Amino acid sequence: MKRLQSPDELLQLQQKYKKNRDERKTTISVCAGTGCIACGCEKVITALKEKIKKEKLDKVVEIKTTGCHGFCERGPLVVIQPDGIFYQKVNEKNIAMIVEKTIMNGQLVKNLLYRDPTTKVVIEKEKDIPFYKNQKRIIFNKNGLMDPTSIDDYITLGGYKALAKSLTELKPDEILEEVKKSGLRGRGGGGFPTGRKWETCKKAKNDTKYIICNADEGDPGAFMDRSILEGNPHQVIEGMIIGAITIGSDQGFVYVRHEYPLAVKNLSIALKAAREMGLLGENILGSGFNFDIEISRGGGAFVCGESTALMASLEGKVGEPRAKYIHTVEFGLWDKPTILNNVETWANVPVIIDKGSDWYSSIGTEKSKGTKVFALTGKINNTGLVEVPMGITLREILYDIGGGVPGGKKFKAVQTGGPSGGTLVVETADKDVHQSLVEHGDIQDDENIKSLLDLPVDFDELIKAGSMMGSGGMIVMDQDSCMVDVAKYFLNFLMEESCGKCIPCREGVKTMWHILDRITKGEGKMEDLESLEDLSQVIIDTSLCQLGGSAPNPVLSTLRYFHNEYLAHIEDKRCPAGVCKELVAHAIDETCNGCHACVKPCPTDAIIGKPKELHRIDQDKCIQCGACYQVCKFDAIKRVRTDEGDAVQVKAKQLWQSHSPKKTEVVM
Amino acid sequence: MTTIKVEKSYDVKDAIDKIIKKYNYKPTALIMIMQDVQSHYKYLPKEALELISKKMKLPMAQIYGVATFYKTFSLEPKGKNHICVCTGTACHVRQASIIIDKLERDLNISVGETTEDGEFSIETVNCLGACALGPLVTANEEYYGNMTVAKIDKMMEDLKKPKVNKVKREEVV
Amino acid sequence: MEKVKIKIDGTPLEVEKDSYILQAAESIGISIPTLCYYPHMTPYAACRICCVEARDGKGWSKIVTACNYPVWEGLEVYTYTPRVVNARRTNLQMLMRSCSPSPILRKLAEEFGIEKPRWGTGDYTCILCGLCVRVCDEVVGAHALSFVNRGFERDVATPFNLETESCILCGACAKICPTDHIKMEDIEERVLSHRELNLGPNAAITIPTRQAVPNVPRIHRDNCIHFKTGGCMVCADVCEKDCINFNDTDKVEELDVGAIIMATGFNSFDPTPLKQYGYGKYPNVISAEEFEQMNNAAGPTGGKILMENGEEPKTIAIFHCVGSRDKNYHEYCSRVCCMYALKFSHLVVEKTDAEVYQLYIDMRTYGKGYEEFYQRILDEGVNVIRGKAAEIIPASKHRSKEGDLLVQCEDTLIGKFREIPVDMVVLCTALESQKEAKETGRIFNISTGADGWYIEAHPKLAPVSTTTDGVFLAGACQGAKDIPDSVAQGGAAATQALKLLSQGEIFMDAAYAEIDEKYCSGCKICNDLCPYTAIDFDDENNVSVINSALCKACGTCVAACPVGAITARHFTDDQIYAQIEGILS
Repeated sequence: MKRLQSPDELLQLQQKYKKNRDERKTTISVCAGTGCIACGCEKVITALKEKIKKEKLDKVVEIKTTGCHGFCERGPLVVIQPDGIFYQKVNEKNIAMIVEKTIMNGQLVKNLLYRDPTTKVVIEKEKDIPFYKNQKRIIFNKNGLMDPTSIDDYITLGGYKALAKSLTELKPDEILEEVKKSGLRGRGGGGFPTGRKWETCKKAKNDTKYIICNADEGDPGAFMDRSILEGNPHQVIEGMIIGAITIGSDQGFVYVRHEYPLAVKNLSIALKAAREMGLLGENILGSGFNFDIEISRGGGAFVCGESTALMASLEGKVGEPRAKYIHTVEFGLWDKPTILNNVETWANVPVIIDKGSDWYSSIGTEKSKGTKVFALTGKINNTGLVEVPMGITLREILYDIGGGVPGGKKFKAVQTGGPSGGTLVVETADKDVHQSLVEHGDIQDDENIKSLLDLPVDFDELIKAGSMMGSGGMIVMDQDSCMVDVAKYFLNFLMEESCGKCIPCREGVKTMWHILDRITKGEGKMEDLESLEDLSQVIIDTSLCQLGGSAPNPVLSTLRYFHNEYLAHIEDKRCPAGVCKELVAHAIDETCNGCHACVKPCPTDAIIGKPKELHRIDQDKCIQCGACYQVCKFDAIKRVRTDEGDAVQVKAKQLWQSHSPKKTEVVM
Repeated sequence: MTTIKVEKSYDVKDAIDKIIKKYNYKPTALIMIMQDVQSHYKYLPKEALELISKKMKLPMAQIYGVATFYKTFSLEPKGKNHICVCTGTACHVRQASIIIDKLERDLNISVGETTEDGEFSIETVNCLGACALGPLVTANEEYYGNMTVAKIDKMMEDLKKPKVNKVKREEVV
Repeated sequence: MEKVKIKIDGTPLEVEKDSYILQAAESIGISIPTLCYYPHMTPYAACRICCVEARDGKGWSKIVTACNYPVWEGLEVYTYTPRVVNARRTNLQMLMRSCSPSPILRKLAEEFGIEKPRWGTGDYTCILCGLCVRVCDEVVGAHALSFVNRGFERDVATPFNLETESCILCGACAKICPTDHIKMEDIEERVLSHRELNLGPNAAITIPTRQAVPNVPRIHRDNCIHFKTGGCMVCADVCEKDCINFNDTDKVEELDVGAIIMATGFNSFDPTPLKQYGYGKYPNVISAEEFEQMNNAAGPTGGKILMENGEEPKTIAIFHCVGSRDKNYHEYCSRVCCMYALKFSHLVVEKTDAEVYQLYIDMRTYGKGYEEFYQRILDEGVNVIRGKAAEIIPASKHRSKEGDLLVQCEDTLIGKFREIPVDMVVLCTALESQKEAKETGRIFNISTGADGWYIEAHPKLAPVSTTTDGVFLAGACQGAKDIPDSVAQGGAAATQALKLLSQGEIFMDAAYAEIDEKYCSGCKICNDLCPYTAIDFDDENNVSVINSALCKACGTCVAACPVGAITARHFTDDQIYAQIEGILS
């Protein structure tokens, strides 16, 4: 790889690559993000390579293993460019067919194409699929088109142009102005104006300054940063170099969580390539500017996503946060001025510099510019990564892009922002929610409030409505989720991830968890609700960092919107969603068709029944593990209140009709 | 609880030396050094930590505090087949707790423990980032997605089979 | 230093910019409760008990921790709004849920008006305030402790919960721990005179006794953290007069003096070799000095006479002549013991109801008012037994009606052997010379007698002078004596010294030795030989010089000089030959 000596050489190289690229050449891009790897895409890639070689097509067809395409629900994904033919749920046995039919003969393999679950229409091309069509990809656009381990791919697609611009056309002050004018706000969850952060750090007087990229994406259900690092690490690197030029830093760190080995691998390869090409390290592109980046792996602590804890961890200590009264932009890593930004924020920087702040600020709302990548997961048809412009409504994300809740079940809530700050956004127009709000004392019975789902997704609008955008994780819950259990789950998560330094988080969250645990076991009392509210307020007020400071949010929001579920647990000793084990019994009702599938998985042999006959669960032996519920395809296993199990089965016996063809009686 | 015997002391010294040199003795790399030591020995032996303390001139108290703070570190040996169940929100919502119950029942150990014969250990992880495939379980760097109770049985069968030498994944540069 | 104007609870004040609220409040007498704060370490802000409300007067308000929140211009602080009080109470109750109700938590609970903790109490003694870890890290610099585990399993421990070499046994962690979770354990066998004395960390700074002269603290190098780790120096930080200098070294000073007074005092005889009395073995057998210290109001028991188990004794025996008048140890009489033994009896009778036995050989009450005092003691009902104690036997070996120790003695006045059960025995130990008396004497050219005391020039006529001119004796170093005698002797020695120094001229003996410079080779043989240290060496001219004021004309140097450069006046060779000739003729 030749070392580039100047920004001009880079632009020339880019032109050269673009010219040499054959736009009409068939490229098969296979998604090799962690999600698809878990689905077995490596076997697909191996089979594809073998088949292409066997058919002697290796000179005319290019196989590109790319980073995450985003449509994780449908992986493994194979997209054939330049037409954009989209094959989903591909396994290695399909490869022969794909190569022979599509590559060699231009025909489509119908059963691998995407079929819209609601309209049932088959869609051939990637760009027509609603999941992709309704997104606006300015950060994620390169993910499906490049091999993350190839710096040439990135340059071909226009990469590092912004860096060249930052070294030639723009002075550091001007770069700062661009970032400020663009209105970019931190994508890690805080939403702090990036330009302002950089400005304060730039003003700080110190010869040594640091740049940190926070890739400790600890929010469960969030994998945007992982996909960006796996699929397009160069964009992040470029952003960091531009940041370093702006504030005058010569050392940067990327703090990646330990659980992302592929991201670490691809990032290392990218750093090495960038150094070899003269884009990183000493004398970047001959400008005399030095900046290098080191990777630091996390140790498995969610709290290290907090900026002061991250810096402590980088210093080789335990990840304990400290008070933010003294700002890290002035006294950060080793007490030197430090900029810490999220992966997605850094990935936005080259786009802003390349296309200009005017273009960038034309996307989004007045106070929230640009796009946001969300990880849509949980009870949603189209699980995956979506990039949407700020200002889009949640309803559009959930239904137009997400495809709605599977199995025809009812949408209940979507959790945004991870457990720390995990507030729920609910369908406030729903009558159960309405009743809860009335009981909780938030509104009058005849008051109608606008649905939260119709609010634009924007930093400030959501906060005004008592929620928040967070880092991008969006977990959808349906009627089968118990909200008390969800609140307990989040508290358990935070209890385990708490660093333990301050009393309100360490002791307070634990106390709240114990109260919720008792409630889910049917031992709750009405004064527990008062305790929860009292504790919440103090924990929010006095916690040292935001892990504790936003820990009570899930509890507060579930108490507000799902008050009746709490009351059911406490007063009726019943879990309406059928999740809390001590409050639920599994019983087979009359829709059972005797398929016998539930018997084997039962660990205590509690299911009695012969094939083709009504089955029954022995209530004494059942340990509520839920294995049968998972397996039953006919929805015959119901989760009811503990004392209703027998009654349901007795009634089932009365009502049950055989599903086998009726034997006609011969009348003699 | 089985213990993996750390062989001769010069073996420990050599291995630790190599790892620390790789990271240039930087204190920023402490956690990564300990992770490499752990992947070498499958846990963090006391002698190894003492050597790290001496070589990097860091107080033993700090090293011990770091070793017990971060969840990836284990001061006791893990099982040959280390099973991690993802307990991220998406997986939880898809009933990952049922998977954990099943594993605990079958192996007769709790999360965080290792079986008597040292073959299996169970751990929970907070979100592996493959939420589309929840509930997700990893074992020996293999991902098993969309797990159900029935699929756990199949996975356990696979794990119990004698291992074929797989091609080792490239080491991180 | 830039100053800013702030308000605390409505009171305006001016403080240094970026200083913390806690100290600013203290300066105007507002005290904010804390748990994890210690003035000489960086604030940790973990307990959140010191939380206060910060406002900007324009509608913004936030709960912040007073110990580490830097003040800014226009800041308004409120230390007891309902929001703040509620936050403190809830935090404390959350902590109490896990921890056992130690005194410091109960005190805070009372202060906050909590009668019954809302979520109950736990049983863990550590409140995770981190003071021990931080003192070991920041102040001591030993880094022996750290926080381990995370979240609700957080704890404080040494690495692997084992003994660590990093610990310098300073005890700072035990002292600073507010709940007694950390205790010091004695790992060596230390013999104590009174075992009920609490064993605490070894104090590095002490005032030896309350009546020490000078009454100033001193630093013990062996226990001082700074000399072990280079850290701490908290004392120097705190000292307002800047008197502490850790870099001070011993200096050697040379003084030219005309007179020296030796007042090196005496040592107490250690009765341990007298195995029959069981000193150091049996409880409640103590020496006179220890008994004296116990009686002192500034002593370990506050002046009360107590046994080791803290109770008052019912019978006390006082043995005279322990180590004195004893062929095996000191043949002399120590002179002072009879009187202080009688004094002890008087104190015992005054302070307790105990029965006192005095076992004596002779009652030496020679001084002014002494005999009268002896009579008074007899009138107070003290039992005097003429006879030495043979042995003390612990009562466990022998049946006894009362008391734990059995004194076996011979009462020579009634001619019977007696066995007296007592609770406590006081041994009147002999006065003896200091261990280093002989070596010290050599430096000053004076000698000690067979009894160990310094020898005076003449026992009757010159008791404060020595055979070396200019060196005088005062006090017990010359012989056992009591306070009035020591004071008198001190005055006498001072007068002698002054007499010497105030003479403009001194009369010397006509006979003295002198050195002829022409012949002196500078070999220095004579310098060390002179018993009166009268010969000095002149480095400039490279010759020896005799101080004629000190020379006693003993003739040693004259004989020793290899060149014959020294002559004794009036004792020249010629004069001696002439005398010999005269005798022989």
